[in-house]
Amino acid sequence: MNEPAATDVAAERPDPDAGVDLTRKPTLASSAAAVGTGAVAALVAGFVSTMALAIGATGIVVLAVALAIGNRDAVDAGAFVVFAGVLIAGVQGGVAAVEPTLVGTIAAVLAWDRAHAAVDLGEQLGRETPTLRLEAVGFASSLLVGLLSGTVGYAVYVFGTGSQPVPALVLLLLAALFITIGLGSGKRERNWRSSRRD
Amino acid sequence: MSASSRTAFLVLGTLAFVGAIAVSSGLLTIGLTETAVVLVALLVLGIAFRSVSRRRGVRTRLGTPDPERTVHVAVPGETVSDALSTFRQVSSRHGTVNRRIADSLRDVAVAVLTRFEGDPPEAAKQQLEDGTWTDDQIAAAFLSPDLERPVRSIRDRVGGLLGYGNGSRFQSGVSHAVAEIAAIGYESDTPAGDRTLPTYRFGRQFGREDEPPRRTRADDDPIDGIEPARQIATGYWTGIGVVALAAVGIGALAESPAVVLAGVVGVGYAGFARAFDSPTLELSLERSVSETDPEPGDEVDVTVTITNERGSFVPDLRIVDGVPPGMVVTTGSSRLGTALRPGESATLEYTTVVQRGNHAFDPALVLARDLSQSTEREFFLGADHGETTVVCEPDLRPIATSVPIRATATSFSGRLLTADGGSGTTFHSVREYRSSDPLSRIDWNRRAKTGELTTLEFHEERSARVVVLVDARKSAYVAPTADGTHAVDRSIAAAGRIGATLLEDGHSIGLAGIGPVGSESERRRSDEACWLAPASGRHHELQFRELLATHSQFDASPPDREVPWLTQLRTLRRRLSAETGIVLLSPLCDGGSADVARRLEARGHPVTVVSPDPTADETAGQRLAGVARRVRRFDLERAGIRVVDWPDDEPIDETVARYARSGGGIR
Repeated sequence: MNEPAATDVAAERPDPDAGVDLTRKPTLASSAAAVGTGAVAALVAGFVSTMALAIGATGIVVLAVALAIGNRDAVDAGAFVVFAGVLIAGVQGGVAAVEPTLVGTIAAVLAWDRAHAAVDLGEQLGRETPTLRLEAVGFASSLLVGLLSGTVGYAVYVFGTGSQPVPALVLLLLAALFITIGLGSGKRERNWRSSRRD
Repeated sequence: MSASSRTAFLVLGTLAFVGAIAVSSGLLTIGLTETAVVLVALLVLGIAFRSVSRRRGVRTRLGTPDPERTVHVAVPGETVSDALSTFRQVSSRHGTVNRRIADSLRDVAVAVLTRFEGDPPEAAKQQLEDGTWTDDQIAAAFLSPDLERPVRSIRDRVGGLLGYGNGSRFQSGVSHAVAEIAAIGYESDTPAGDRTLPTYRFGRQFGREDEPPRRTRADDDPIDGIEPARQIATGYWTGIGVVALAAVGIGALAESPAVVLAGVVGVGYAGFARAFDSPTLELSLERSVSETDPEPGDEVDVTVTITNERGSFVPDLRIVDGVPPGMVVTTGSSRLGTALRPGESATLEYTTVVQRGNHAFDPALVLARDLSQSTEREFFLGADHGETTVVCEPDLRPIATSVPIRATATSFSGRLLTADGGSGTTFHSVREYRSSDPLSRIDWNRRAKTGELTTLEFHEERSARVVVLVDARKSAYVAPTADGTHAVDRSIAAAGRIGATLLEDGHSIGLAGIGPVGSESERRRSDEACWLAPASGRHHELQFRELLATHSQFDASPPDREVPWLTQLRTLRRRLSAETGIVLLSPLCDGGSADVARRLEARGHPVTVVSPDPTADETAGQRLAGVARRVRRFDLERAGIRVVDWPDDEPIDETVARYARSGGGIR
């Protein structure tokens, strides 16, 4: 009772610095995956054309900065520049660039996907939270989808190649257009209220 | 786009694809030229770029709360105008309220000068006009209509331009004036130049509306098992269709098969994005805590196990555990992102520091996405065997020195020293012997020396009846820093210590609270303000302690609304019997708290205010709030109410000891 009681009220509330501080920034593992796959895309495109490599490198820098600050629009911009590098390689390389372009596209989409996963996870759970397993599953599933659709596309290209009549090309274009519109518009009408928008 | 038109597009697309295969294999012939290819490619590109412009901001996701964070409270005087408006309640000035900051500051300076320097109001006003009230020329010029502001040195000007100085003329004027006003009567002997200037902050520091909520779930209905809540489309793959279309269009124009194939990959992802239904979950949660009855400040380990009870793989789970507001996570993480195979469990382990109060865990928040992340669903996951509750009662260690409170004696004997002479232990006086005086109090030494019969008088010792009243109104939830210990927490800690001391000394102690009871949704459950009639004894002490820990009026997190506390005060006054002493625990940060003390004093209850000091002095507003509190304290003391000022960095024992030395107290 007579001992100094300096601790009693101070202990009532813990030191605020002692509590964990949540960093709502993109998670590190997915960010690394995004930059890594972006680098793969740029390198693959770089085998075809030096300009594509330069553009891809610019895209990776933008992507890395976007992940450092956690900005979604910048992520979109960075991934788009990486993808543009791949497209330029495809246009410049002609028939020889089919495989690099395919791999580069999958890598660019993965980079974009992982970057957004990192931002979302960072915002919802924070950088300190253990999320490695969730990120690994996400990476694996996205990679699998890319490989599958790439394989299907490549198979059609390999077996159906040669002198394609022009009408077939037009019909293929229209098919791509309609299917994408049908699939891509999303389930927007099912938007519930009070969700966070950016 | 409606579902039917989407299906139509899909059918059209499939038809076109079948047609393309038919044409390329020679089954079908359509006469088309290269121009048609270019036209369709341009159409595709056009649609792609149109949708780019429409799709910004479609991405959504559900936000998560911050249950592991410390509760943030306001700092008194967030802006200068805030501080000035609390001042208006203390200064007895009637009539129009001055909206201009300079005029209000002039009123404040008059109020302070009249109180702490003893000047009559006219003299104070004259001093302000002459600028003789301070050595600081900038402050003097700011508050006087006649004086000219001193010319700034070139260094100051350059600094001001570069943003190093103290802001604009007006801002530096306010800073200087506030620093000088705050110094009146306290540090007036320090030369003006040596004082630290407060910073001037115009806007509010913390956008508290932007902060994520503190709890996983707003209402308190118990949850059994898992309960789905909101569901949204995240728009995660927004833009992938654009990539597909752009690649196909550019590829067709440039006649590059490589780029067309890149578009095919995009179509593949677009299909992936739509391939899954919204997730359904069957999870169970088991939560265990290392201790359910800790002392304040103790560490409690929490282990949460979440099991997937469904026979399918859950690819994407984001879990935030419902840590109650009074517990702060110090190590580990109360969040988890994982995937669960059928029957698999994930474990969360973290350590929290517990504050006083009754802490019931909220259900955990679970956000689940399908494999493609396109839909997100929110679930609340309650524990299997009811919610875990941790009860943390405050420390009731008595204070070593006597508590300097004012109280009236009752007719029961106790340890309150009264001014009356009689039987007791402390010497009071010596008087002539009267025939009925007990033999034991006759001064036999004097009788032996002089032969006179005299009687020794001692201070009568009586017990007092005291009610400890805790100010838990919304305005009392303030602290010197946003994440510091707020005044209500400190008040309750002090209430426990003071109550224990008085009970030990044989006084009757009661407990009352003033302020909102529970949160908005909880109101129906217990709408009673805290009241414990004065009594003594071990059972009463336990009741006192339990009420302090668990009554919803003394919540650790600030209430979201203010209540008409005058009604509460009226009820309290009816309950108080005559001559009950009051110990009011209040930070004195608004006019209302001083009003409570004054009203109770007016009804004949001797009031002692024990005031935890929540003011800071970094900004001009905060320093002004400190001045307002000092004026309020001064006014109360002038009305005969004792005010014990308890600084933020001092244990209550030291403060009480200091006041007990300076003037009496009851024991």
